[in-house]
Amino acid sequence: MVYDSSRLAVFMPVNSTGRVDAVFRRLTDVITLGLLNDGEQLPSEAELAGQMGVSTVTLREALMALRQQGLLETRRGRGGGSFVRIPSSPIAPDLSTRLRGYGTHELRDFGDHYMAIASAVAFLAAQRALPSDLAPLRRSLEEMAAAGSPASRGRLDGRFHIEIAAASQSARLAQDEISLQAELGSLLWTAHEQAEGREKLLTQHRDIVEAVASGNAEQAQHLAGHHVLDAIGHLIEVRLRDGEEEADGAEPDQ
Amino acid sequence: MAPNLISEPAVDAAVKRVHAIMSGVFDTVAKVRQATLDQVEAARRSGREPLAADLEGLRPLLFSELRPLLFSQLRGGIAGLGFIAAPGLLPDEPWFLEWWQPTPSGQPVQLIRDLDPASSAFYDYTHWDWYTGPSSGAERTICGPFVDYLCTDDYGFTFSVPVRVEGAFIGVAAADMLLRSFESAVAPELRRIPVTAFVVNSSGRVITSNTARWLAGTVFRGAPGVTTHPIGDLPLSLVTIAGRGRTSG
Repeated sequence: MVYDSSRLAVFMPVNSTGRVDAVFRRLTDVITLGLLNDGEQLPSEAELAGQMGVSTVTLREALMALRQQGLLETRRGRGGGSFVRIPSSPIAPDLSTRLRGYGTHELRDFGDHYMAIASAVAFLAAQRALPSDLAPLRRSLEEMAAAGSPASRGRLDGRFHIEIAAASQSARLAQDEISLQAELGSLLWTAHEQAEGREKLLTQHRDIVEAVASGNAEQAQHLAGHHVLDAIGHLIEVRLRDGEEEADGAEPDQ
Repeated sequence: MAPNLISEPAVDAAVKRVHAIMSGVFDTVAKVRQATLDQVEAARRSGREPLAADLEGLRPLLFSELRPLLFSQLRGGIAGLGFIAAPGLLPDEPWFLEWWQPTPSGQPVQLIRDLDPASSAFYDYTHWDWYTGPSSGAERTICGPFVDYLCTDDYGFTFSVPVRVEGAFIGVAAADMLLRSFESAVAPELRRIPVTAFVVNSSGRVITSNTARWLAGTVFRGAPGVTTHPIGDLPLSLVTIAGRGRTSG
C-alpha cells in the first residue's frame, strides 16, 4: 500500500555502517521528495530512534544535520518537537549550496549513473507495463501540464520518474531511482525545464510514456537515457554559471 | 495425448493452496471491515460522526492479526493492515488511515495521519487501484504484484474490500502481503506439478512460477498448449503448459 506507509519504510531499522549518514540520507530523501508533508511532526526522538533501530545519540546527530540543511525545524516547549520543512522552491538556498558542493565531473558521473538506471527502468517498463502501470504515468503527465509552479512541477517530475521505475517491476531499480531523485532530482528537472522550455519537457515525457505503452523497449530506453543526459548537461551549465558568479564576486587577490 | 491437467492432483493442490492463502488474507481484511463498522456505527448511534480517535478501537484486532505466530501459515506474511477512510468521512481528519505494519521486534508500528494531497505529490490515495476497486463496487480487489515504493520498498500485493454503512461507501479495509511470503507458501505445491506452472493475475502478470522461463513481474501474453485453471472466484489463475517438463520451460 502506498502512501503514508512511507513512514514505515523510512523508519525501518538501519543496519548499515555509518548510521548517522544512513539516517540522515533516508530522512533527506523522503523530505526532499515530498514523501513527508510540510509541517508534519516527527515522532519523539526516543520513538524514532527505537523504530529505526539506532541510538538516540545517532538519531540526534542526524536530526542536527537535517536542521542545518533547513529540512527540519525544532520548536521547544509545549507542543514542541521536530517538524518537517519542505523547501518552497527546488532552488532554495540550501539546494543551490548542495549543487556548489559538486564538481562538474561529479555531476557528469551522477548523470552517468542516473542514465543507466533511467534507461534500464524504461526498457523493462516497456516490456512489462500493464494498463494499471500506465494510468499513473498518464495522470502525472496531465498534472505536470496543469501545474502552476516550478516547485510543484519538480515534485511531479520526481513522481513521474519513480512511477516509470515502479512499472519496471523491479523494487531495487525503484529504490535506486528514488535515491537518485532525492539527491539531485528537483535541481535536475528545474534546470532542464529552464533550458528547454516547458513544452519540450512535456513532449519528452509524453514520448517516453508512449514508447513504454507501445512496448517499444529499445525506443523507451533510448528516450529515457537521452532525457537524463540532456538534463544533466543543463545542470552542469547551471553549475558552471554559478561558478562564474562566485569567481566574479570574489576579491581579486584573495 | 496430453493428460487432463485439471484433474491432476498436483494442480488441484496448488490451486487450493493459492486459494487458501488469498482467502486467509481476505478473512483478516473482513475482520478489519467488521471492526471498522462497529466503531463507526457506535459513534453514529451516540448521535455524532466518527472521529479519528474512534478508529483507535481497531488496534487490538490489528495487533493480534499482525502477530506473526497467528500467521504461521503465511510465515508472518501480512506486511500492513488497516482501514483507509474515504476523504471527508471523519470531520477531524479529512484524509485518514489507521494503518499498522509489523516490525522484526514484533511490535507493530503505526503510520502517520497527515495526508493532505495539497502539500505532497504522492498522497491522493483515491487514485490507487486498491482504493478505486472497492470504491467503484468491487467486493474483493487484489492489486499487484507491484513495486510498493513508498511503503514496504518491496514487491507485493494489496488486498482490499469496501466498507459500507447502509450501502454508502465509507472507506477501504486492506492488507499488504509481500510476494516473497506468498511465493514461499506456494512453492512446495508448484514444484510438485510436473509441467511448467505459474500463477498469474487477471491482467496476465506472472506472480510466481515453477520455472525460470516465467518470472514474477513479467507479462504472460499466451502460449501454445496452455491450460488456465481458475482459482475459485479470485481474480487469479494457475497456468499450466502441457507437454513440457518444467525445467525445459
